[in-house]
Amino acid sequence: MRETFTKGMARNIYYGGAVFFFLVLIGLTVDTVNRLPETDNSQNMTELVIEGKRLWEENNCIGCHTLLGEGAYFAPELGNVYTRFGEDTENIKAFIKYRPVEGIPNRRSMPQFNLTDEQLEALAQFLKYVDGIKTARNWPPNVQG
Amino acid sequence: MKYESQGVAKLYFIAAIALFVGQILFGVTMGLQYVIGDFLFPEIPFNVARMVHTNLLIVWLLFGFMGSAYYLVPEEAERELFAPWLAKLMFWIFLVAGALTILSYLLVPYARLAELTMNDLLPTMGREFLEQPTITKIGIVIVALAFIFNIGMTVLTGRKTVINLVLLTGLVGLAVFFLFSFYNPDNLVMDKYFWWFVVHLWVEGVWELIMASLLAYVLIKVTGVDREVIEKWLYIIIAMALISGLVGTGHHFFWIGAPDYWQWLGSVFSALEPIPFFMMTLFAFNVVNKRRRDHPNKAAVLWALGTAVMAFLGAGVWGFLHTLAPVNYYTHGTQITAAHGHMAFYGAYVMVVLTMISYSMPIMRGQKAGNIKAQVVEMWSFWLMTISMVFITLFLTGAGIAQVYLQRYSDDPLPFMVVQEKIAIFYWLREAAGLVFLIGLILYIYSFFAKGKEVEFVEG
Amino acid sequence: MNAEELELKRASLSALASLLNLTVLPVIGFIFLLFLYKQTQAQTIGRYYAVLGIKINLAAAIALIIVTGLMLLLGGFYSPWTWVFVISYFVFVHALFILVATWILVRSWTGKKLTTTFL
Repeated sequence: MRETFTKGMARNIYYGGAVFFFLVLIGLTVDTVNRLPETDNSQNMTELVIEGKRLWEENNCIGCHTLLGEGAYFAPELGNVYTRFGEDTENIKAFIKYRPVEGIPNRRSMPQFNLTDEQLEALAQFLKYVDGIKTARNWPPNVQG
Repeated sequence: MKYESQGVAKLYFIAAIALFVGQILFGVTMGLQYVIGDFLFPEIPFNVARMVHTNLLIVWLLFGFMGSAYYLVPEEAERELFAPWLAKLMFWIFLVAGALTILSYLLVPYARLAELTMNDLLPTMGREFLEQPTITKIGIVIVALAFIFNIGMTVLTGRKTVINLVLLTGLVGLAVFFLFSFYNPDNLVMDKYFWWFVVHLWVEGVWELIMASLLAYVLIKVTGVDREVIEKWLYIIIAMALISGLVGTGHHFFWIGAPDYWQWLGSVFSALEPIPFFMMTLFAFNVVNKRRRDHPNKAAVLWALGTAVMAFLGAGVWGFLHTLAPVNYYTHGTQITAAHGHMAFYGAYVMVVLTMISYSMPIMRGQKAGNIKAQVVEMWSFWLMTISMVFITLFLTGAGIAQVYLQRYSDDPLPFMVVQEKIAIFYWLREAAGLVFLIGLILYIYSFFAKGKEVEFVEG
Repeated sequence: MNAEELELKRASLSALASLLNLTVLPVIGFIFLLFLYKQTQAQTIGRYYAVLGIKINLAAAIALIIVTGLMLLLGGFYSPWTWVFVISYFVFVHALFILVATWILVRSWTGKKLTTTFL
């Protein structure tokens, strides 16, 4: 590869390859964004769900949990928690509401976030909406997440 | 040191190492929280410790990249830095902003921090790695712009080497893709999709340009191999990095509600992502083997070779391990990801910054290379940190495989927390390896203060 | 191309074949390696690298196929712990063989034997 393959050729592969595949990525992104309404459950994105997403962010839930597999791996997957909790948002709300302030001796425990009933409802509705997103092959593989 | 202004790098490197220590202390804390769930609860819950651990990593690597650029660019451009005062000013701004942000994570509940920094005006917080308050993100952009202006002016008005141009491209890309952190749509799928435009296009895109150019620079210096040869390697490595890595972003789009075609595209292109890392190994081995001189800074040569090897293992091999969609279906979001993340970040980015520090610090302190004892201690720290990181990775891989089997693969899947208890032994072992890493880091810091016989330098 | 250059070429081809056999062209790489071995003359650098390649690939076959097979046989196919050991072991040891073969390839390019001081 030494004599016949010059630095100029290497440079052209770099510039050409980078520009070409960047354009490919942009093209695919446009296509993806156009197709998302088929899967992203946006028809169920109510004001309450949007408020729930903000609460999800502002309490740093991703710092322990995964959501559709992304996040920390310290606590259970929540992309399908609505299914796991018997398709009842009341169960989700009760779980968050009754976390002990001082934790559980020797065990991992979710902090007590002191959310109001309205906030609990928003967060639960957000998790229900996430459960409705049509992921490929219905990921996660089973109800345990 | 050829140019006086290169010396600003020292400030950046000292800060980088100090924050590195913080990162590891919090890493060891989290490791313990994995097995003793109520450790430091509720004062420092896991999510806070993790945020500190990952954000410190990002901040200190940015310090490392900036310091490296300030050291390398003037020498390559053959002129003083465009504005050394600006580099110093930005250092203090970035340090104070970074420290305040980290302290606010620890001292204020996150929701309260969001309120105090008026997250509602432009909500960007609460997404993995991008937890910084919006005001901090704006600060990062300002610092990055000033930095790129300074570096860019130095590059463009000086000798334009391939290393300088590639580094500059990487740094501009870093700043540009960070802008996606301000885009936080309400639609979760969109949010996740474009979140990767920061995270993936950083670590599997433009950061590879930065890494390859830093490595190429150090290898030119310590081996004396012809620049033409090294530049050709550099081009072809970064070409492969972008050719595989841009569409390779698709390996993050498998299970977040994006179209099915990403399963194919993401699998095929990310299967090529080990190639640039393999080429880096081949490149480093090759130029060290063909070296024209034996540089007295043996520790720097060791770090350079170590970077190439560990980046290949962590980013290349451990990335490939779970990148194909049929495999990722089971492994996505398990400890396998954590295993890969640890070795890849250490091997590629931590080690390349330590390579630059190892090469340049002695020079900035008025020596060609550290004294013999300092180098021996530094090499010990290299082996302790590197081997313990291999073990951290292996233990997390073990934990991940068991987790996948018990929670995802078996006919009778077990709940998450039940599985976590069954695999606790791996977490204990990981914690032990983490403590060895900490010892290695302490030795690393000691190496800067060790006194001993000066090395002799014979120009070959 | 004189005989010496030819052997140098065979040396680097052998090292390449050995690396390919460990990565993207298993079995085919090894057949190519045996073919190169037959071409090389005794006491040359080409023969040295062909033999080295064969040795390292046989060692890899034992370490990766036979040891892994034994682990599966002794551990049982349906135990998670078997897979914990098999996958971690296979990935790590395989990567080590690739790294060694890469270093051998780099050495073969300079026409020197493998064993001189590393640094």
